[in-house]
Amino acid sequence: MSASTFERLFGYQHAFNHPFTKWMVIVIGSVFVVSWVVNQVLWRTGLTSREQYDDIRVRWKSWVWVALAVLTPILLGAAWVILAVMVLSLLCYREFARATGLFREMSISIIVVLGIVSLTYANVDHYDRMFFSIAPLTLGAMSIMTIPRDEPKGYIQRVALGLTGFLMFGYSFGYLGMMANDERYRPFLLLIFVGVEMNDVFAYCVGKALGGRKAFPNTSPGKTVSGCVGALVLTTGLVALLGHWVFDGTSMNRLDHLLILGFMMSALGQAGDLTLSSIKRDLGIKDLGVILPGHGGLLDRFDSLVLVVPPVFHYLCFHLGTLGSNQAARIFTGE
Amino acid sequence: MFSSWHPGIESGGANFHRRVSVDDWKLKPAADLGLPAHERWRSLKRESGLVENLLRLGWWIFVRTFLTCWNRLEVKGRERLPAEPRFVMIANHESHLDALVLASALSLQWRDHVSPIAAGDVFFKHKPVAAFSATLINALPIWRRKPNVGAHSMQTLRQRLLDGFSIYILFPEGTRSRDGNMLPFKSGLGALVAGTSVPIVPCHLEGTFEAAPPDTRFPRCRKIVLEIGHPMTFEATGNNREGWEQIAARVEQAVHQLAGSGARPEQDPAQRAM
Repeated sequence: MSASTFERLFGYQHAFNHPFTKWMVIVIGSVFVVSWVVNQVLWRTGLTSREQYDDIRVRWKSWVWVALAVLTPILLGAAWVILAVMVLSLLCYREFARATGLFREMSISIIVVLGIVSLTYANVDHYDRMFFSIAPLTLGAMSIMTIPRDEPKGYIQRVALGLTGFLMFGYSFGYLGMMANDERYRPFLLLIFVGVEMNDVFAYCVGKALGGRKAFPNTSPGKTVSGCVGALVLTTGLVALLGHWVFDGTSMNRLDHLLILGFMMSALGQAGDLTLSSIKRDLGIKDLGVILPGHGGLLDRFDSLVLVVPPVFHYLCFHLGTLGSNQAARIFTGE
Repeated sequence: MFSSWHPGIESGGANFHRRVSVDDWKLKPAADLGLPAHERWRSLKRESGLVENLLRLGWWIFVRTFLTCWNRLEVKGRERLPAEPRFVMIANHESHLDALVLASALSLQWRDHVSPIAAGDVFFKHKPVAAFSATLINALPIWRRKPNVGAHSMQTLRQRLLDGFSIYILFPEGTRSRDGNMLPFKSGLGALVAGTSVPIVPCHLEGTFEAAPPDTRFPRCRKIVLEIGHPMTFEATGNNREGWEQIAARVEQAVHQLAGSGARPEQDPAQRAM
């Protein structure tokens, strides 16, 4: 392993080399401090009740944990990002499997877990062709593995659910790990996380402020047309603004490219949110888990990310060239 | 004219354009979905996934190896076990090894169906112990000092037994014997199976008191013998206190017989049913 590869995988010493990374960490930390102080002040001055204070505090704590879980691996190095993505994929698949009942199909779950572990290996090895081949190979393995049971009843359902779970939470999130093979992965990943999370915040705030017609009353009763459009406009603007900083000096740093990137992140973020809402409504459940108090499960927090990552990765590759192409490939399997 | 793709659905009305292309899938979320981890461990509706399945595989291989090598475990009458993993296995209760010994006699493939019924105040009071009991042993709690909770729990356990494949390991004496002598059986056992076709498998344990008496922390190197009796069903027995007491008495007698002179030949099911 070359020194530059080792530096990318484990080099936390240069975590703040890019000013965007440094300032994002400062801004995120400041937001948490300020929001904690505001919550304290509002409660102590009697402007909010004890219940509201407690509710905000629970959500605030969950947000802190999520931010730490996202920021720590990004700052520590690419290897930790790839590992964290694997853990995220496995936990999200677990929530999906328990909600749909797929967890009772052990052979399907074993294939999905092996698929996710293989994606992780492909990312650590920086072996892109292996990464892309894992989707069809997993489908093949899943289709074959449940045949020996000689139980065709429910075959389509279990294979389709297994493949949906793998593609959404293994393969899709796996692109985050693949992005870590580029030396500029820290600002790229932070831009995606900040853009997607702010998209949720904008949709909620604009929807609350303007109200109006429900956008998808059967799928997600809380979403309004004004919230969706507001998020689309604000997120596109924010991502274009931040992107100008992140992509400075590259061919991505053009207004039209940045606006398309922001629009893509907002539209697909909302689509991912609605996708998971559709799954929950179909199952008749409110939350997919309980791991994050005040939010629900991990999928209730990361749902907006599900559809965003692969298109953004390929869009960036289209304009910047294949991400990570200047880094050593096939670190362990190469000649 | 619009027509439905589904033969049973007529077109028309406001949603006439929404054609039904497939029937509803049978999606059944985990019965314990939405419970935090510590509540899930204590839930009688707990369902296991891949992680627990693999952990249990390792755990039971370890337990079997340990009992075989350290305690020279001998199992008699294994062929009398029912073919389907839906029954209640009971035995005299002399030590904390008892549930492990009984579970070790069962097929490893049944590991996710095997659930020792354990005292909630001992095995589920503290979180680390509850995590161990639920994750590795797959024990289900029964709260002895909460009569109303206990009655409700028995009803939930009965339903779980009837709804799917479950093997309960139960000690009808209600507590461990402190001197090695068997205590009278409590009638609660009957509430699980009265009026159903779910069999009770009476067993007798010998040597577990010597291997792990109440004051011992680590099992001693003593031989353990498990004798498995013939399954008994109580389809015709009433699901009431009188029926439960009859079941407890019959099963207690069966365990005494196993203790005395080995397993009896199988009786006619009609004669066994009460």
